[in-house]
Amino acid sequence: MSIIAVYNIKGGVGKTATSVNLAYLSARQHGKTLLLDMDPQGSASYYFRIRAPKKFGAKKLLKGGRHIEENIKGTDYPGLDMLPADFSYRNIDLALDECKKSHKRLSKVLAPLLEEYDRIILDCPPNLTLLSENIFYAADYILAPVIPTTLSLLSLEQLFAFLDEIGLERDKVVIFFSMVEKRKKMHAEMMQSLRDDNRVLRSVIPYSADIERMGIYRQPVAAALPASAATAAYESLWHEIQELLAI
Amino acid sequence: MVHSGPDTWLLPDSLPVEGLLAALAAEFGFDTAPEYEATVVYADTFDWRLYQQGYLLHCHGNCWTLYHDDSSEVTVQQGGPELHAACFARDFPPGRLRELLAPVLGVRCLLPLAAVHLHGRQIRLLNRDEKTVARIVIETQEPVDGERRYRLVRLFGLRGYGNELETVRSILAAAGVAEPVSPLVGFEEGCRAKGRSPLDYSPKFNLELNGGETAREAMARIYQFLLETISRNMPGVLADYDPEFLHDLRVAIRRTRSGLSLVKRVLPAPVADRFGRVFGRLGALTGPTRDLDVYLLAREDCLGRLPPSLRPGLEDYFVGLSRNRQVEQKKLVRALRAKKNKAVLAAWQRALKRSDRQPADLAGLPVRDLAGRIILKRFKRVVRDGRVLDAVTPDAEVHRLRIQCKKLRYAMEFFGSLYPKQEMQGLIRHLKKLQDILGSFNDLSVQQEMLRQTLKSLPAGSRRNLDQAAALGGLLQSLFREQQELRVHFTEAFAQFGDQETSELFHELFGKRQEPA
Repeated sequence: MSIIAVYNIKGGVGKTATSVNLAYLSARQHGKTLLLDMDPQGSASYYFRIRAPKKFGAKKLLKGGRHIEENIKGTDYPGLDMLPADFSYRNIDLALDECKKSHKRLSKVLAPLLEEYDRIILDCPPNLTLLSENIFYAADYILAPVIPTTLSLLSLEQLFAFLDEIGLERDKVVIFFSMVEKRKKMHAEMMQSLRDDNRVLRSVIPYSADIERMGIYRQPVAAALPASAATAAYESLWHEIQELLAI
Repeated sequence: MVHSGPDTWLLPDSLPVEGLLAALAAEFGFDTAPEYEATVVYADTFDWRLYQQGYLLHCHGNCWTLYHDDSSEVTVQQGGPELHAACFARDFPPGRLRELLAPVLGVRCLLPLAAVHLHGRQIRLLNRDEKTVARIVIETQEPVDGERRYRLVRLFGLRGYGNELETVRSILAAAGVAEPVSPLVGFEEGCRAKGRSPLDYSPKFNLELNGGETAREAMARIYQFLLETISRNMPGVLADYDPEFLHDLRVAIRRTRSGLSLVKRVLPAPVADRFGRVFGRLGALTGPTRDLDVYLLAREDCLGRLPPSLRPGLEDYFVGLSRNRQVEQKKLVRALRAKKNKAVLAAWQRALKRSDRQPADLAGLPVRDLAGRIILKRFKRVVRDGRVLDAVTPDAEVHRLRIQCKKLRYAMEFFGSLYPKQEMQGLIRHLKKLQDILGSFNDLSVQQEMLRQTLKSLPAGSRRNLDQAAALGGLLQSLFREQQELRVHFTEAFAQFGDQETSELFHELFGKRQEPA
């Protein structure tokens, strides 16, 4: 029973593709999995062809209990359910602010779901807000996809500074390289510079047209193209995360 | 238990599949998986261990598929042995299927049950986003030995799509799909064709008596029940599928013998004497093979007791044992197949059915009056024998107490249905705790004796025999130590069983109050 948040302050680093594929692989390995789409853009929901229910939104999410349970949807894949995002999530900080113990609200809401699900994966929006703080409290691991560029590494520094500020351990953070292009020399150099950091996973997700096309076929790449290099990369990543979680 | 899902119906003969699909097409898109077609053989242990746990296992050649409950979701599908006759969990290659099967099957083997021809397809029902909102399976099940073909529709909903599920249900109902049916109808029908039905055998003694029966009637039914257990296990013993057949057979024989010696003056004395001897002989006949089974089953445990350097010697010892077992099993089969044996069981059956020319003096007594007296007597005997037990009591006397406990247990099981269930279960649980300890104690004692005998007969001289002797010595030491530890426990367990409270309960349940004034 563990909660993994897929997070980066920067957008466009492959968070949603990672969440969707890891959730799919987790369920395929006989672990009941819930994917929570926290991003108001709802890309993860779109990939699974799930629309947000009409009477659901940020406030319902924060109320928790049956308000969440009634809105969980089965995906096309056995063992994998998801809570779709709603556009109202864009104002979730306002709603959070009204809650008591506002930085731990999400933890409280997720706790009962851990009885039903072996794993909960959070697809997080790219920013540093009260919601992010909630996510960091709730998650056992913060999985950060990082494109090996200067700006991405800078965003990691910001993440660590923020964790220090709110008094959370940096140990929660696990990093892997995403959208890596072999032919770019800078990518190789950046990766080399972080090679000895034990927070960095060995598996690397390459930049791949197959992953980009997920928006067209609207399935996890591991389901649509099980024999592709992209699938192999996600499988290797999931394998490493499993070792980390000792499941 | 495998539950029959509420969402499985028979497809009426008048309704073609295409007609049903056309009706659904008005609301949903389809994604049809390729059709499947295979003749599968369902397998389970003789006592339905998989079925009891909600599992259903079938094989098609060497491809095995395990389902849990009626989810129709394959729990695991994997290669395995061909099911020609018996196969054990250990015959499967290492993997998830074996891991799931091993604890459920235990020492029992899988046997083929029913062969059913399955033919069908799964269809995902899609909404406008081409998102799956429900699944239906249309399947034909045709038991190979049966007479009928069953056409089934199964409906599976998806979380969060309740409205769509209702729509499908109403479309099905409007099309005339209205007769609910067990999703396992083909399996059940196939079993029936082979003379079996789910959960039709259990090694437990569970016969319901009614208090008004005479002692003669009740005992005849008890013996009859045990005789059925004997005959049902006989083919498995002869074919030597797994050791449990012989075990269950022996328990039924022992129960019958105990009945004959516990419940006197109900059957005419000459009958009771004759069959007492008959079942005594049957017990003795089946003993040697069972004893060897017990050792062979303890193989892993014994090896684990020794340091690795001594293990090869013990392996040799076990090779010898399994050779002996082959010989004993052959003898057993010959003896059981003998005409005399069949004739004597048939004679027993007749003796139970006919009315006695000279009824014994307690034959007409209501069974309830007899039962309490017998149980209480056995209880007092156990308490009397148990009281003198201490840490240095010789093994033979501990063994005697064990036999007394067994007799009490059998008496309580025979007549258990005449008494309040909860109290009975409580008392049996206490007794069982004591029996378990005495049983392990006795096993350890018998094993040591057998090792001593082997050591005595082991010729000196060869390196091989030296290794074996060293291994047996090591094992003796380990068994002895465990036995010593158990001694402490059984005085404790007995103190609990013989205490005031238990004793009062026994007297209250089975005492004079139950008998007519």
